[in-house]
Amino acid sequence: MADTLNKTPLNEVHHQLRARMIDFAGWELPVWYTSVLEEHRTVRSAAGIFDVSDMGRVWVTGKSAGRFLDRILTRPVQQLETGSSMLNMMCLEDGGILDDLWLFRVEADRYLIVWNAAHTQQKHDWLSRWSGSYPGITIEDVSAETAMVAVQGPTVLQLKSLSSVVDLPRFGYKQTAIAGIDALVARTGYTGEDGFEMITAASDAVSLWESFIEQGVRPCGLGARDSLRLEAGMLLCGQDMDSSTNPFEADLGWLVHLDRDDFVGRKALLEIKRQGVKRKLIGFQVEGREIPRPGYQIQRSGQEVGKVTSGGYAPTLGINIGLGYVPLELSAIDTVIDIMIRSRAVPARIVNKRFYKRGV
Amino acid sequence: MNPKEYRYTKDHEWLCPEPDNKAKMGLANYAQTQLGDIVFLDLPAPGTQVEQFKKMGEVESVKAVSDLFSPASGKVLEINQSAVDEPKMVNEDPYGAGWLVKLELSDPSELEALMKIDEYNKYEAEASA
Repeated sequence: MADTLNKTPLNEVHHQLRARMIDFAGWELPVWYTSVLEEHRTVRSAAGIFDVSDMGRVWVTGKSAGRFLDRILTRPVQQLETGSSMLNMMCLEDGGILDDLWLFRVEADRYLIVWNAAHTQQKHDWLSRWSGSYPGITIEDVSAETAMVAVQGPTVLQLKSLSSVVDLPRFGYKQTAIAGIDALVARTGYTGEDGFEMITAASDAVSLWESFIEQGVRPCGLGARDSLRLEAGMLLCGQDMDSSTNPFEADLGWLVHLDRDDFVGRKALLEIKRQGVKRKLIGFQVEGREIPRPGYQIQRSGQEVGKVTSGGYAPTLGINIGLGYVPLELSAIDTVIDIMIRSRAVPARIVNKRFYKRGV
Repeated sequence: MNPKEYRYTKDHEWLCPEPDNKAKMGLANYAQTQLGDIVFLDLPAPGTQVEQFKKMGEVESVKAVSDLFSPASGKVLEINQSAVDEPKMVNEDPYGAGWLVKLELSDPSELEALMKIDEYNKYEAEASA
């Protein structure tokens, strides 16, 4: 593995566990420890732990922090209460998606952004460009000094070390001690299961990780992280959406609040909404055992109509599924399309993209 | 452990000669560990003629798709339907129950082009390094 890759504070732990390591957005991370399928099933039936330190962590502080964030995000932050978090989105001026992110309001004038690993420099340049007109704003990237892990699965609520956070509401968070280690713990995740994500000092990352391993939580890699989120119909920025897609066609229009003061991208998004989208992100199920993968063509009557953006085997459902964009007129549930898998047209059916929904 | 009586290709397939110019083939252990969980096997139908080192099928794991090359020329006699139905057998027992295709060899001298155990063990060690 090239030495130029970024390493998380848990890098040595992954190597000691003999994980298969890959390059993910410039980070050396485990794709699996023993088996993607077993790790996936463990998160659906018990509890797994993921190193998600590749996600960037950025503090935005200052009297005008809220107003600044309202300027660059599509969803209003003023209504976010201290002690809670929300999914939000940054769009470019033309309405293209720069990133989706989690926003935590930690104090009245202090917010924490957790964003995706890719395009970090571009996003920082973007923050700098727009923060200029908001005096007194500080933007501090603490990704290198901190680590982040996700503990996910139906049995996490029974873990002893998490007893102080079981009463957190969904998207709620608090600063607390987990197994004696200070951490910001949020009831969030990217797997379709209940669970927590926690941010701690880089120097405490290994102790925090080990405290969960000792309680029987299974290490899980990027492979399971991807198959779990895909089953749950969650999009991956940079793959299912990027600067060439807008939130409406990505089915994330609910993150865009147009009925408020100007924000970056608002004008373009208003126009897109007025005209209506021409294509839409859909979920599909392949009628066969071949696996759809990102980049494969979607065809209808022998003509290319779109591309697969995510795809794979869904271990919980035992079927092959994917996400992709198709023209609006082909986006209805039950529409039959073809996925071109190594020059064979494999039939697929459009289904609700929340392929997996956990029982309540 | 790679069986010592088998022969191996550079693409990490194995061939196990049987009497009457027949042979079974499958994926070497190294290949299955590289691929990870195998979920789909596309194998040639019985009766298909295959050529040495030419593509004969595909193996898909959760994370990757890989071509399967024939270790020798000949005719496909049988495929391992149990492995097609339950591809994880290839991960669990690549040299036994997880065999893939039974061939009738058209030119047994082709075996000379395959690696014997000592050579393959070295080759595998280099690939793993």
